[in-house]
Amino acid sequence: MRIDRPRPLTIAQQFIGLRSNPACEGVGRLGGNVLTWRHQVSPTVFSRAYYARIEYRQDRSPQVYIDGPDLTALANGRRLPHVYNQFPSRLCLFLPGSGQWGPWRRLDQTVVPWTALWLLYFEEWLVSDNWAGGGLHPPEHVGSGRRLRKRRRPNSATRPGSR
Amino acid sequence: MHIERQALQKKAQLFGILEQLCERVEPSQTQEDRAKTSYEAVGQWLASASSPLLSGSSIYLQGSTALGTTVRPIGSNEHDVDLVHHLLGLGRWIEPARAKALVGDRLKESDRYRAILEEKPRCWRLNYAGEFHLDITPSIPNELCARGGELVPDRLLRCWKATNPKGYRDAFKRRAELVPQMRLLKSFAADSARADIEPFPKRPRFKGLLCRIVQIAKRHRDVYFLKRDAALAPISVIVTTLAAWSYERAVASNVFDSELDVLRIVIAGMPDFIQRPIVGGRPTWAIWNETTAGENFAERWNAEPARARAFFEWHAVVMADLDELGRSAGLDELTGLLGKSFGQRPAAQVMQDLFDGMAAARRSGCLSLAPGLGLTTTPVSRATRVPPNTFYGSL
Repeated sequence: MRIDRPRPLTIAQQFIGLRSNPACEGVGRLGGNVLTWRHQVSPTVFSRAYYARIEYRQDRSPQVYIDGPDLTALANGRRLPHVYNQFPSRLCLFLPGSGQWGPWRRLDQTVVPWTALWLLYFEEWLVSDNWAGGGLHPPEHVGSGRRLRKRRRPNSATRPGSR
Repeated sequence: MHIERQALQKKAQLFGILEQLCERVEPSQTQEDRAKTSYEAVGQWLASASSPLLSGSSIYLQGSTALGTTVRPIGSNEHDVDLVHHLLGLGRWIEPARAKALVGDRLKESDRYRAILEEKPRCWRLNYAGEFHLDITPSIPNELCARGGELVPDRLLRCWKATNPKGYRDAFKRRAELVPQMRLLKSFAADSARADIEPFPKRPRFKGLLCRIVQIAKRHRDVYFLKRDAALAPISVIVTTLAAWSYERAVASNVFDSELDVLRIVIAGMPDFIQRPIVGGRPTWAIWNETTAGENFAERWNAEPARARAFFEWHAVVMADLDELGRSAGLDELTGLLGKSFGQRPAAQVMQDLFDGMAAARRSGCLSLAPGLGLTTTPVSRATRVPPNTFYGSL
C-alpha cells in the first residue's frame, strides 16, 4: 500500500481535466502560472444557469467565483453564507488543510461538483433563509471562537508549566 | 441537442414534481382502504334490510373516488366518498323524498350509523371524523335510458333527475387508458436519448396521466377560489368531463415531447367542449352527460352566469400559471410559483423531499454532477461524483 502523498498535478494537467469533463464544459486560459476556467453550472434542471470562474495558481488554493447572475442581488439584501467575498462572490467550498482539496486532486472532480452543490444550497437558502449544506466558520467569529476556546481549556490545564 | 435535452429533462422532472404534489393532497392508500371497508359494511347493512323496498339494493362508488381523481379539500384531512345506493326494486312511482327517507330510516336502525349520521339535501352523510365522510345518494333505475342510467333526487327532492354514474365512470376509465404518443420514444429510441431522461427520483404511485391532469386542475381550482367566491368555482364533474374529452382529442391528434406538454394541451383545450345551444333565441351553456339523456353539468351556469365567468377566469389563470412554471428559473422561484398555484404547504413539502433526497445521496456518496442534468441521485453516464466536502467561511 502506498502511503506517500500523490504527486501534484501541473496546471496543464488540470486544464486537460477541465476540458475533458462534460460536467464543466466551458472555456479556459492557461497562461504562465495561472489557469482560468469559465463554465456554466445549474445545480438542478429547475435552477438558474450560473456563470462560474475557477482561478488556479500552481500550489495555491483554487478560487471559485460566480460572475453572474449577481448572487447578492438574488439574496436581496441578506449576507451570503459561506463566501470569502460577497461581491464578486467567491465561494468557500472546502475546509483548508483538511485534505479535501490538494494539488494532486483534479479541479473538475472536486471544486466543479462542489460549486454545483454550493449553488443547490444557495437556492434552497433563498427560500428558507437556512443554509442546509452544513460547514464550518472561521474561528474569529463569535460562535465558533467560543467553541475553540472551550476545546483548548483541558489541554492547557494538562500542559506542564502552563501556569 | 444539448439544450433541447435539458429542456426535456426539466419538463419531465417538473411533471414529476406535480405528481408528487398530487400525492400530497390526495387521500393516502390507508385512508382509501379504510373508506372501502366502511362503505362495504354500510352496503351490507342496507342490503340486509327487512323492508322489501330495500331488498336487492346495492351500493357503489361514484364521483372522484370511483375515478381516482380525489383531492382533499384545502385545510382538511377529510375527503368525500360519494356513494350511490341503487334501489333496484323501486321506480318513478316513489317520491324522491320517500326513497331518501327509506335509506335514512334503515341507517338509523344501527346504533353505530345513527351516531355519525347527518342529513344533507339530497343524500345521507356518515361522518368518520378526521378521515372521510360517506355521502349516500339513493337512486332508482331509469327505464327510459338504454345505457343503464339511473335517476337520483334533484336538489329540492321534488323530482327524479337522470344520471349515469356507472356509465360515466366507464367512459372516463376508457379515456384514462389512452396513452399519448411521445416523440422521443418514437424517433430517438435508437440512440437511447430517452433512456437518460431521468424521472423525478421518488416516483409516486402510478395513477395514469388523465387522473393526474384532473387532480392538478382541481387542486389549482381549489387554491384559486380560496380567496374568491368559492360558490362560483366550477364543480368537479365539469373539470373532469372537459379534461377527459380534451385528453381524448389531444391523444388522438398529437405527438408529445413530455407529459407536461400533454397537461398543457389538455387544459388549454377544455373550453372547446363547452356547448352554446340556442334556447328561446338566446345562447345557453351546456356540458351534456354523454352517458344518459338530459343531464347538463353546466345547468346552473344558465341561471347564474357568474359561474360561467368564474370558469373562464380560472381557466385563463391556470394556463398562465402553467406557462410560468415552465419558464421558472431557480428552485426558489419554482417553490414560490408552486406555492401560489397549488398551496404553500404541499409545495414546500415536495421541495423539501427534493432537497432531502439530495442531502441523503451526498451523505452516502452517491450524488453526482451530470452534464445537462445537474446534481443527480441516480447513476448517469458521464457524471462526476461529488466527493465529501465541508463548506467553510463566514455565515
